[in-house]
Amino acid sequence: MELPKANPIKHLPQARRRWLGRFRIALMLAPAMAVLVVLYLGALVLAFLQSLGYAPLYQINTFPTLHYYQDLFSSTGFWQSVFYTFYYALIPTFVGLILSIYLALTLRKRFALKRLFQYVYKLPLMIPYLVGVSLTILLFSNGGIIARVLHLIGIIDNPVEFPRILYDHSGLGIMIVYIWKQVPFMTLIIYSVLLGLGPESEEAATTLGANPWQTFWYVTLPQIMPGIITGTAIVFAFNFGSFETPFILGGGFPNTLPVEAWRAFDDPEPARRLGAMAIVMVISVVSGGLLYLYIAWYRRFEKRRGRV
Amino acid sequence: MTIRERRFSRDGLTPFQRFYLIFFALTVLSPLIPMIIASFAFRWFWPDLLPSEWWASARHTLTQPIGWDYVFSPYSRLFTAIRNTLVIGFSVTLLCLAISLPAARVLAREKFRAKGLVEFFLLTPLIVPEVAIGLGVLLIFIQLGLAGSFVGIVLAHLIPTVPYAIRVLTSVFQNLSTDYEEQAMVLGANPLKTFWHITLPMIFPGIMAGGLFVFLVSSNVFLLTFFVGRGQVETLPTLLFTKVSSGGVLDPVTAGITLITMLPGIILLLITERFIREEVFAKGFSG
Repeated sequence: MELPKANPIKHLPQARRRWLGRFRIALMLAPAMAVLVVLYLGALVLAFLQSLGYAPLYQINTFPTLHYYQDLFSSTGFWQSVFYTFYYALIPTFVGLILSIYLALTLRKRFALKRLFQYVYKLPLMIPYLVGVSLTILLFSNGGIIARVLHLIGIIDNPVEFPRILYDHSGLGIMIVYIWKQVPFMTLIIYSVLLGLGPESEEAATTLGANPWQTFWYVTLPQIMPGIITGTAIVFAFNFGSFETPFILGGGFPNTLPVEAWRAFDDPEPARRLGAMAIVMVISVVSGGLLYLYIAWYRRFEKRRGRV
Repeated sequence: MTIRERRFSRDGLTPFQRFYLIFFALTVLSPLIPMIIASFAFRWFWPDLLPSEWWASARHTLTQPIGWDYVFSPYSRLFTAIRNTLVIGFSVTLLCLAISLPAARVLAREKFRAKGLVEFFLLTPLIVPEVAIGLGVLLIFIQLGLAGSFVGIVLAHLIPTVPYAIRVLTSVFQNLSTDYEEQAMVLGANPLKTFWHITLPMIFPGIMAGGLFVFLVSSNVFLLTFFVGRGQVETLPTLLFTKVSSGGVLDPVTAGITLITMLPGIILLLITERFIREEVFAKGFSG
């Protein structure tokens, strides 16, 4: 008796087999790629066309025109918006990174209740940003819990004396939410890189006489760089395009670029809607371009160090 | 052990490290206490640290529902939001897994020319700002008549979830040897039977973990639901958005809805901690 073939296409001539193999690969990738290409690449292409004046939906077709970009770049509100967007995105990324590195290093140790702590610190990762916004309002608003505690210990007399943290261009409330939500995320990434490393190289450095700071700077840090780059890139891109947190906790016009894009899009005036698409393109190009440069810089840095 | 030695060794924390861990646990957990208190409050004036009148004592003296009574009444639209969140979440999870499984299998096992390009493309939704995707997708859906519909929202939720699911499932397939499947084929099982009886049971834990997280992402997404739904489809995050952007500081209803919106995340954290494959997150742009 002949055994059935392990691979049903194995008995075909080689050229045909290769073609069938390729066809099968394409077929299996097709549904996922179709969804992403149509929706997400299509979305960007359509936004780009609209920003150049192509909007038959609103009976506008002045394609191609740079009018909407010129309008945008000549308004002072836009440049303030750009500043706030960078400011609210970068500071929490840096501050969060430093907090996360130290937390990840501490998590490697053995300590009492470690299992419990590993549940607790991940909680912000699992819940919507809006929950963070709601908690921040409860704690940091002028009549909020922290102001009341300060009143109790006699530091302030009435709510007005409490520093304005929310609904303000300083963006402290926004950044508190980002850090609270994102430190667990970056910690998880860095901690998982650390888990894969093992203690050997650090122990070797210590045996050879490196002090803790030298061990961290020359041995641990270079090894966790992949996690740092991934974490900061994702967090920065998220903050740069985030909408609900600055929309609620920000200081009114001009707010961040995503909020201004939504407001322009929500306007009944069609021309404003096309302006919204120009803002969307600026957000995508700036964020994408910066991340490309960041990762390219990191690859060159690794190459120079001879790791790749 | 001196502090200097402890900084190194794997056992024993320095006092600062202990403080640091306690500080983190407190920043996560302590805001929940005033939130729970706020949800049970009726009158809570400056500068009291506790409400002067509670929901439990005030609810019988009033004709209209307050606090938790209001939250669980039809007026709050909470049950509509929960139902929509669940329906959208389950649809997204099933659809997302169905299209991600074959793609992940190919990416884990086959070599082909465009593979690098496909893998790069799958990373990009992580780094393209959500607002750009949200408004762009809304443009497409307005033209297709899908704006404000369930179908539109489910499709929009696939954008953040499919790349994530493919990433998780690819690593599941990579850790799975092909031996058993080959044996089944040699013994005469067709590809479909092999998948159903051999592959699927072996990757089931991975599928569960991936599916739970896809569900969580879908139930937490605000922007895509809000933009694509055009305010016509209410989910837990959009309901909370309405409350938070209009409510007062210590509003009991906002507090109640905040606590309920946390529930999917808390439940999933409790059941999936052991599922979370930390190495899934570890693969960066460099690898």
